[in-house]
Amino acid sequence: MGTSQSGPVHRFQDLAHKTGFSIEEIKTLNTRFLYLTQDEDTLRREHLANVSDLALNPIRRQIIEAFFDKRNMGEKERGCLQEIGFEEFVTVLSFFRPPKPHTADEEMKNIKKEKLRFLFNMHDTDNDGIITLDEYRCVVEELLSSYEIIGAETAKAITDAAMLEVANVTVGQMAPDEFYEGITFEQFMQILKDVEIETKMNIHFWNLDTMTVQCGK
Amino acid sequence: MGPFMSPFNNLLCMLLGISFTVWFTLLLVFIIVPAIFGVSFGIRRLYMKTLLKVFEWATVRMERGAKEKNHLLYRPCSLNSIIAKEPTSLEDELKEIRRNCSSPELEGSASTSTGPSPSSSEFEMSDTFYFCRRGIESIVDDEVTKCFTAEELESWNLLTRSNYNFNHISSRLTVLWGLGVVIRYGFLLPLRLTLAITGVGLLVVLTAMIGFLPNGRMKNFLSEKVHLMCYRICVRALTAIITYHHSENKPKNGGICVANHTSPIDVIILASDGCYAMVGQIHGGLMGLIQRSMVKACPHIWFERSEVKDRLLVAKRLSDHVKDKSKLPILIFPEGTCINNTSVMMFKKGSFEIASTVYPVAIKYDPRFGEAFWNSSKFGMVNYLLRMMSSWAIVCSVWYLPPMNRQEDEDAMQFANRVKAAIARQGGLVDLLWDGGLKRGKVKDNFKEEQQKLYSKILVGTQEVRSRS
Repeated sequence: MGTSQSGPVHRFQDLAHKTGFSIEEIKTLNTRFLYLTQDEDTLRREHLANVSDLALNPIRRQIIEAFFDKRNMGEKERGCLQEIGFEEFVTVLSFFRPPKPHTADEEMKNIKKEKLRFLFNMHDTDNDGIITLDEYRCVVEELLSSYEIIGAETAKAITDAAMLEVANVTVGQMAPDEFYEGITFEQFMQILKDVEIETKMNIHFWNLDTMTVQCGK
Repeated sequence: MGPFMSPFNNLLCMLLGISFTVWFTLLLVFIIVPAIFGVSFGIRRLYMKTLLKVFEWATVRMERGAKEKNHLLYRPCSLNSIIAKEPTSLEDELKEIRRNCSSPELEGSASTSTGPSPSSSEFEMSDTFYFCRRGIESIVDDEVTKCFTAEELESWNLLTRSNYNFNHISSRLTVLWGLGVVIRYGFLLPLRLTLAITGVGLLVVLTAMIGFLPNGRMKNFLSEKVHLMCYRICVRALTAIITYHHSENKPKNGGICVANHTSPIDVIILASDGCYAMVGQIHGGLMGLIQRSMVKACPHIWFERSEVKDRLLVAKRLSDHVKDKSKLPILIFPEGTCINNTSVMMFKKGSFEIASTVYPVAIKYDPRFGEAFWNSSKFGMVNYLLRMMSSWAIVCSVWYLPPMNRQEDEDAMQFANRVKAAIARQGGLVDLLWDGGLKRGKVKDNFKEEQQKLYSKILVGTQEVRSRS
């Protein structure tokens, strides 16, 4: 494998250690990052909004926000950033890295917890650690069409029913005057404990070779 | 000094005269006469084979040189995706996630739902997974933008324009490249320019002459011969080496020929093998002159700029032309813009609404010899033609596919997609749902709504099942 100048390579190696991607994957992501930002150093929301495939996605707003959310950067801070650099970009993407084979169970649990944390943060927009009914309804409405097929009333009904089910699962039967605040992270984990997040929330990279210089046939 | 100059002058003039004569005779014998009669000496194929050998040598040298010096060689970004996208549909994926997610407590409350979906019919938190993952996938790897950059090569063809990381690897290679530049710009380019001018000039003059003849079989016959001859000269002007497959499926009168579009040269490539009626907008200048003289010899369909917007008018003129069985088949490029020849984008349905037989044609260029894709936002037409004429050659394959007809239960859009799939399959191109207009604009909101509608249908459908039980 050829090596280029030493500066970026050290940076990439640090990133590779920190996030668990291989150096090749980081290089590919760097190319993609530069492509998205059109060769600038920092990524802003409008750069992501330009991705055509993303326009199809009903929850693209939440996905884009996830990139600028400080909670996902591994820091204890809260709040949003206006623009991010390549390190933050890769850090967010590392939530979607498939776990290496032969990972210990403890490690798997941690990985799963982190992925769930990412999803939780995506729902919990006001950073208070609880997904309230309103926040949840927000997500539901984005996912559903604003057209004739489902009216606002039906959307509300669906949200309420879903929240009720969640409450049933986690808290058990509630007294009539008890007020259900919202879904905490522990309850979130409990609901989704059976889903194989480790496999469902992954992006698989193809194996890239360097120097695939072939002669024409 | 005076008396010494004149014998030199004479000698010089004589030499120039002789070389010009030789030059023109060679040109005539080897290029123009075969073009007129449609035969080929096989010189171009020999040229192609020699070039390939040279490229192989050059690439091996580069590899060796890069290893020695530890340079980062121009690593080709493979055109395949960076990530493996699973081809599951929205419905399948949601079912799977919900099946995993329904815990016993939830099952209890949802057991009243009978019906096709085995999982709980409520809106599940896990549904966001699917969209989240898809969203991140599209941020990392986007299908659309890949179509609009020129295809990147895996070996170097001695054109610096296709190797963005050209370093001085070895002096032999640089010499070879320099020699290549001299040959291409000093010898091939003037030759091709001469041919191009001859071809176009002959086309204009001869078709104008034929225009004076009365309509009839003689006129059609002559016009066909003249068109073919001039297009063949233009093909040689580009040193285009074309292989035609399945010529038995060539478009017949009264049909519509559709093809994928990579560059304006597509027209010349197709028209040098058969006669078509072209469709297009009237331009000014040289293009306009050519268009006006062509239409004198045989009926092409040219629109004024103002008429182009009027879809009904366009459709009517095309249908009228098609109904007349004595007129030539129409040539249309339904993508509407130039795509970089790795995929086929959405076909506009207008041409498929006209009731007639459609003859699909797939054109695939070999990028090793010259990049044929016209990136109209990067290069103008003249710049593009110059690049074409200073490449080594244009090598392409043309496949004539069997004719297709619109079936009873299909609408125009479905028919268009069917034709598109056939063309993509034959040419080895990727079949995409996207609109070529995205080169310039953004995604229409309709698409986002489509996804939303599909998702809501799944939800509402299962809701109904629940309430019924």
